Amino acid sequence: MELELNTVQQIIEIVGEDNVLTNLEERICYSYDGTFQRGIPELVVFPANTQEVAEIVKLANKEKFPVFPRGAGTGLSGGSIPMSSGVALVLTRMNKIKEINSEDMLAVLEPGVITGHFNQEVEKLGLYYPPDPASLKTCTMGGNIAENAGGPRAFKYGVTKDYVLGLEVVTPQGEIMHTGGRTVKNVTGYDLTRLLTGSEGTLGIITEITVRLLPKPKEIRTALVIFDKLEDAASSVTAIIRNGVIPATLELMDQIAIKCVENFNHLGLPLDAEAVLLIEVDGGKNQVEEDIISIEEICQNHHCRKIHIASLAEEREKLWKARRAVSSAIVQLKPTKISEDATVPRSKIPEMVKRLREIASKYNLHIPVFGHAGDGNLHPNILADKNNKEEMERVQKAVDEIFHAALELRGTLSGEHGIGIMKKPYLQWELGEVGIEYLRAIKRAVDPNNILNPGKVF
Amino acid sequence: MLSRKIIDELTAVLGKENVLTEKEELACYSFDATADMPQSMPDVFVTPTCTEEVQKVVEIASKNKVPVYTRGSGTNLSGGTIPLKNGIVMGMVKMNKILEIDAENLNAVVQPGVIIQDLNDAVAKHGLIYPPDPGTVKTATMGGSVAECSGGLRGLKYGVTKDYVMGLEVVLANGKVMRCGGKTVKNVTAYDMVKLFVGSEGTLGIITEIIVKLIPAPETRKSFLASFKSLDDAANSITGIIASKVIPATLEIMDNATIKTVENYAHVGLPTDAEAILLIEVDGLPEVVAKEAQAVEKVCKENNGQLKVAETDEERDNLWTARRAALPALAQVSPTTVLEDATVPRSEIPKMLKALQEIAGKYDLKIGTFGHAGDGNLHPTILTDERNKEEMERVHKAVDEIFDAALKLGGTLSGEHGIGMAKMKYLENEFKEAGVEALRSIKKALDPENILNPGKIIDLEG
Ligand SMILES: Cc1cc2nc3c(=O)[nH]c(=O)nc-3n(C[C@H](O)[C@H](O)[C@H](O)COP(=O)(O)OP(=O)(O)OC[C@H]3O[C@@H](n4cnc5c(N)ncnc54)[C@H](O)[C@@H]3O)c2cc1C
Ligand SMILES: Cc1cc2nc3c(=O)[nH]c(=O)nc-3n(C[C@H](O)[C@H](O)[C@H](O)COP(=O)(O)OP(=O)(O)OC[C@H]3O[C@@H](n4cnc5c(N)ncnc54)[C@H](O)[C@@H]3O)c2cc1C
Repeated sequence: MELELNTVQQIIEIVGEDNVLTNLEERICYSYDGTFQRGIPELVVFPANTQEVAEIVKLANKEKFPVFPRGAGTGLSGGSIPMSSGVALVLTRMNKIKEINSEDMLAVLEPGVITGHFNQEVEKLGLYYPPDPASLKTCTMGGNIAENAGGPRAFKYGVTKDYVLGLEVVTPQGEIMHTGGRTVKNVTGYDLTRLLTGSEGTLGIITEITVRLLPKPKEIRTALVIFDKLEDAASSVTAIIRNGVIPATLELMDQIAIKCVENFNHLGLPLDAEAVLLIEVDGGKNQVEEDIISIEEICQNHHCRKIHIASLAEEREKLWKARRAVSSAIVQLKPTKISEDATVPRSKIPEMVKRLREIASKYNLHIPVFGHAGDGNLHPNILADKNNKEEMERVQKAVDEIFHAALELRGTLSGEHGIGIMKKPYLQWELGEVGIEYLRAIKRAVDPNNILNPGKVF
Repeated sequence: MLSRKIIDELTAVLGKENVLTEKEELACYSFDATADMPQSMPDVFVTPTCTEEVQKVVEIASKNKVPVYTRGSGTNLSGGTIPLKNGIVMGMVKMNKILEIDAENLNAVVQPGVIIQDLNDAVAKHGLIYPPDPGTVKTATMGGSVAECSGGLRGLKYGVTKDYVMGLEVVLANGKVMRCGGKTVKNVTAYDMVKLFVGSEGTLGIITEIIVKLIPAPETRKSFLASFKSLDDAANSITGIIASKVIPATLEIMDNATIKTVENYAHVGLPTDAEAILLIEVDGLPEVVAKEAQAVEKVCKENNGQLKVAETDEERDNLWTARRAALPALAQVSPTTVLEDATVPRSEIPKMLKALQEIAGKYDLKIGTFGHAGDGNLHPTILTDERNKEEMERVHKAVDEIFDAALKLGGTLSGEHGIGMAKMKYLENEFKEAGVEALRSIKKALDPENILNPGKIIDLEG
């Protein structure tokens, strides 16, 4: 399909010439995301406001071209990839924080606001917006809502969904709709706010977001715990939770991840250790102290080698460095990273870790394992070279087995990265034909012309 | 009337003991806890005992285009279970087993007919709680509270039912069974169908199994009663407490009309001369509780409040008995109590309270207001008499104005009771055309024959 010249002209009339990219070189920049998927859009469009978004979507329904919403393009499931046609609709110009309200503890913002920037702005007022995807320095709030992003703090504080109070949305037919609102409680009609959160740009374009805020925690303590045995680290995770301690963060890194990070950053991590846990507790002073003592005890009972504890911000940052570096460090091993996101019930972490190791050795692949162990959301990353066909076949088989293992342990395909294109083939394993038909019925009902992000999710 | 044939089919599937057709028996299912609603008789009342039976009932209904009204305990306050177009009322109370308590992963799997309190009693042995606690914990079912997304007294700190539902098994309008969500805390696999079902009031599917999140029980708690000579002072205390970064588990308000009525009814020693009281509970670790309690005291005193601390368990129980007595007490004053559920952003509570007083004055009505002030969820309750036509006209006008006021203040029609039949006509005021159209298209797509709880939430003809 090709966009008619006349259509391009109409789009330019809506957003202005400066806000449309037509050159191939420029369009290529919007052909990829955090995965290895590619698809070059015919046109890249940067709307300035809700009205412009609505007009473009209306036009799309008239002229029948697909629209692919895009934030910063950091997604890890291929969600924003234009399927080699239509318009990439990039929301980064709509980046105003419209309101931060301490009294009602909420904020209203546009979708293009960068998550990390927003975190900082609310913290200046003693407030807190917990979702903190590791990509927070670049990803957008709109992308976070569309993916229902998580992050290290999700263990205690939940994911994006738990903070969205209301949305302004341009529907797939170009109408402007408001869902939810400014109240914490709202049961008026179906919960369209939650339906749209995590809908990966397929059910509406998010043009304004109202989120709930919390008071900023008073004290934070961070512990970096080194284990000789991966199993001990995994069972410490379950033991900590069983003891009623709810850390804000409970992150795990395995030996391959440790080695890559150490190679990359020289932080002094022991290369022979099989696992590291990064644990952070927050709250009142007494509480964090009590929590950190219990954590120390538990880890010692599980034969940890060493514990570093930090309370000052700079020292804590040092401990965090290793975890933050993982994603970038592991690509040293191989150029292609297939980042998985399979999630299991918390108590199944030791079992899942064991299975991942078996899969890695069975298919002779590098699979560093790290991630949000506290909520069962591990990120096994398969490292390979996509130009090596034979290896990629083994990767495919390993991915299949990873999903099988997760579902067998009563887990899910995706804890936070979404389905996009990457996990589409597996959806039926989890939801069955009935479930997929149900999803389709919803999509067809609200987007009869299949305009928004076609080809994604199912 | 349903044909004999359909009744026979139902009986063949469920057995005689699970199919009621006698008028006297059916009358019990022609209404629910909602006042000022039309009654309507079902043709048959059935009680399936397992998912397969629910499936078969829906298949029969679907084949014959007969409506199915799912019912838990019938305690909802928006006319959600009234069988408006007759047909089948399906009672879920026989599916009342707690299937699993998974203390390690902090969750439980239950059937929809389990009573909320029974779940709480069962998990208490593991030091856990299931926080959502509507006033009806002892009677309402898990299925009904999931279908309504019920709130409760602890909503401010702990959230509402939606925040605790992790997974569901649902029988769809076409009789097929679907599972969504699961036992993981995180799940972004495709659309969030779990959240779509929570609060869908029996119009999208029948919930046959529920996985809920549990949390460790708080170690200690402390309760207060703060009384105020002016409504403004009480309202300022609410926002003041939150602004001091304390989030109490419970922060409830009662106005003078409610205080007097409750005192008259329950004799628990409430200050009848106060314009308003706040009931506050903080919970958590002992040090945290001590600190938060201090902050609460400080704010209340700064706003001219008189504080009474519940020193013993008995005193605490008294306070909460008083709060739970609010609705039954108000209900005794007059034959009909019209209870609303309009919710506003917390900072707008003072304005909402004032608006309610003005509306009461304008229409010369008795309105007692109480509710979950901490989350902006007030329950203005109009005390009236259904048989007095002239007064009911004034009541309806007042209700219109209450919703107008809530929406103008950035609020919503319903914080926790749902839309049902009672609030249907106001839906467009909040959702506007585009929103109503979206709701309608979802309902039509998922229940094309309109057999599940027809006549509720949205007018499909529109
Ligand atoms: C190094 C790295 C670390 C990461 N760590 C995490 C992590 O810890 N937790 C986590 O959850 N994710 C993580 N991610 C994934 C990613 O950052 C998140 O999914 C993020 O939410 C995507 O935001 P974005 O602005 O880049 O969106 P994009 O990638 O541009 O888009 C993502 C999806 O949202 C849709 N979309 C974007 N904006 C809108 C809008 N306004 N309206 C409707 N649909 C829209 C797109 O169509 C697409 O389907 C990580 C990614 C990287 C590269
Ligand atoms: C005195 C009093 C105090 C109350 N206090 C509160 C309060 O504090 N907070 C609050 O939120 N509510 C409160 N309520 C309202 C009510 O108790 C709740 O809505 C309750 O959760 C309903 O549960 P139920 O089992 O009675 O459901 P029902 O009334 O039987 O049904 C409610 C709705 O759910 C549907 N339904 C029931 N079971 C299923 C199922 N298995 N699958 C699909 N749909 C189903 C029905 O069709 C109906 O639409 C109160 C009510 C009273 C009378």
